Amino acid sequence: MEIAVQRPEAQRMGFFTDTTVCIGCKACEVACKQWNDLPADDLRASLSYDATRELSASTWRHVRFVETLRIPEPEPTLNFVEAALGAQLDRWVFMSDVCKHCTHAGCLDACPTGALIRTEFETVIVQSDVCNGCGYCVPSCPFGVIDRDPYDGRAAKCTLCYDRLEDGLEPACAKACPTDSIQFGPYEELVERAKGRVATLHERGLEGAYLYGAGDEPQDQLAGGLGAFFLLTEPPERYGLPAHADSPIQQNGPIANATGVAAAFVAAGLAFGAFAAAFRKAR
Amino acid sequence: MSGKRKGPPPEDVTRRAEEGRTAEGRDVTPAVGRRGQAGGWVRTGEKVALAKERWGDARWSFLYDKDTRYASASANGSVAEAARRARGGGEVPVAVQGPMIHATLWTWEVPVYFFVGGLAAGSSLVSVACDQFGDHEGAELARKLALGAVLPAPLLLIADLGRPARFLNMLRIFKVRSPMSMGAWCLVAFSTTATGAVAADVLGFKRAGRAAGVATALLGSYLGSYTGALLAATATPLWARSRVLLAPIFVCTAAASGAGANRLLQRSGPTREALGHLELLAMGGKLILSPINDRHIGSLAEPLEHHRAYKLSNWAARIGVALRLLRRGGDVPSVLFLASALLTRIAWIEAGKQSAGDDEAVARMARR
Repeated sequence: MEIAVQRPEAQRMGFFTDTTVCIGCKACEVACKQWNDLPADDLRASLSYDATRELSASTWRHVRFVETLRIPEPEPTLNFVEAALGAQLDRWVFMSDVCKHCTHAGCLDACPTGALIRTEFETVIVQSDVCNGCGYCVPSCPFGVIDRDPYDGRAAKCTLCYDRLEDGLEPACAKACPTDSIQFGPYEELVERAKGRVATLHERGLEGAYLYGAGDEPQDQLAGGLGAFFLLTEPPERYGLPAHADSPIQQNGPIANATGVAAAFVAAGLAFGAFAAAFRKAR
Repeated sequence: MSGKRKGPPPEDVTRRAEEGRTAEGRDVTPAVGRRGQAGGWVRTGEKVALAKERWGDARWSFLYDKDTRYASASANGSVAEAARRARGGGEVPVAVQGPMIHATLWTWEVPVYFFVGGLAAGSSLVSVACDQFGDHEGAELARKLALGAVLPAPLLLIADLGRPARFLNMLRIFKVRSPMSMGAWCLVAFSTTATGAVAADVLGFKRAGRAAGVATALLGSYLGSYTGALLAATATPLWARSRVLLAPIFVCTAAASGAGANRLLQRSGPTREALGHLELLAMGGKLILSPINDRHIGSLAEPLEHHRAYKLSNWAARIGVALRLLRRGGDVPSVLFLASALLTRIAWIEAGKQSAGDDEAVARMARR
C-alpha cells in the first residue's frame, strides 16, 4: 500500500460501528461537525425522521435511520383515523455511516493531483491545500461518501480525525458515542473483537448479524477490506450500501484503456484504408 | 460554473437571520464551522485538556470490556459465512433505501471538452494519413485544425474545476493509475507537439512538421480514447458496465468528427473523398457498437436510450450515413456527424448522472 506519511510506530487504525447498540442519538454527527469545523446543513423536509439524509462534503458522519414500514392487512373498522394511518412505522434500525477508508480506495486511485493520500494510520484523507476540485473522486467512490462542497469547490470527507490520531487521541465521533456503537482501535484487534461480537449475537439467536467489510475471505472482500467496517443485521441495501464493491479504477480502468487505445489503432487502420482507396481511384 | 453555487452558503443565511434574536443576550450561534474551514487545521502545540496521550484513553472502549458479555473471546468460522449469506445472491432481497452513490458534478464544460479533444485527436490522425498519401497541403490543414480544436480544451477543463486557480496542481504528479492524471498530461503533450507541428509547417521545416504530426497522432490515440475510459472507471452503473465498448464508441465519434471537420475545409480532390469514406466508416462503427453495448448492459442503458440528446445523436448519424450512401447532401453529412459526436458525449454524461441517482440500478449492479 502506498503510504504517504511514514512513522515507524504507527499502525492501521479503524472504526468498528456496531449497529445493534446504536440508539440514533446523532451525537457522533454533532461531535464530528464541532471538531472538524464543518458548516451546518440546510434542514430538508422529508417523510423520514432522518434530516441529514446522506454523507456530503459538510457531513462526515451520518446516522442513517433505516425505517421499515409495516402495512397491516385491511380489516373492517369504524375508526377511520386508524385506517388512514394504516401504515405504521414498524421499527427503526440505526447505522452511523462514515467513510470506509478502503484498502482499495476508489477516490485515492482517481485523484489526479495527489491531494488524496494514505496516512501512516492507513486511512485516506484529502489535503485541502492541494485539492483543486476536479470532482473525479466523487463518482469514483463506490459508497457515495466523498463529495465536492458546492460553495467551497473542494472535495471533503472523513479524515478519521487525522489531527487527533497524530496526538494519540480517539476520533471525535467515537469519543462522543454514548453506547459505544462506534468503536475505535488498532485494526487487527478491532476485527477480532467484531468477530467475537458476531459470534455472541449468533449464539443469542440473532442469526442475521454479519460484518460488512471485515473478516471476509479474500475473494469476498469489499474494496480489499474496509478500514471502517460495520456490524449489520439486514441486507446491505437497507442501509444504502452495495453488496459488492471495489475501486472502480482497479476494476474497470485497465480494460477500458486497452479497448480504447486498440480502437484508436483500428481507426488509424481504417483511415489508411480509406485514403488508399480514394487515392488509387484518383490515379 | 460547474455545479458551483454563488451567493452566501445556507449556514451564513441562517446565522444572519438569527442575529439579534439571541435569547436574553446569550450567544446561541451554533459552534460549527464555515465553508472551506474543514481540514484546515493548524498545530498550536497546546495540550488537549484531560487527554491521555499515546492512545491512553482511545484504544478501547470503556463500556464493553472483557468483563462484559458484549463479545465472546473466540470467534468461530461462521462470521465469513454470515457475511456471504447477507451479501451473496444475484437479487436485491429488500427495498433499497438510498442514496447509494454520488453522481458526477460535471456540467457542460466536460462533454464539450470531450468533443473538441476527440476532434483534435481525429484531426491529428487525418494529418498523418494525408502525409502518407502525399497530400502535404491537406496534412498541414489537418494539423492546424488539430491545434485549433485543442486550444480551448484547457480553458474548458479549468472552468470545470471547483478551484480554477489551482489548475496547475493537475501537473503536480504523474499518476499512471488515474485516467484523469494521464489525460491531463496527454493534453499537455498533445498541445505541445501540435503547436510544434504547426510552427514547423509555418516556418518551412517540412520534415520536422511531419515528424511532430506523427507524434501528435500517437498522443491523439490516447487523447481520443481516454475520455471513455475515464467515465468507465467510475462507480456510475451506466459507465462502469460499458467499460469494454464506451472508449471505442468515443473513438468512433472522435474519428468521425475529425474527418468531418477536415472534409468541410477540403473543397476537392481525393483527400476529400477519403475523408468521406473515413467519417462514414467511423460513424457506421458507432451505429453498430452503440446498440451492442445497450443490449449488453440491459436495463442500465435506459437513461441513455431515453435521453433526448442520445436519440438526436443517433438520428443525426443515421441520416448522415444514409445521405452519404446515397451520395447526396454534399457537406450536410459532415455537419450531421459533428453534431452527432457532440450530442453523444452530452448524452453519456447526462445519462450517467441519472444512472448514479437510480438506487435500484446501483444496488443491482453490486449484486453481480
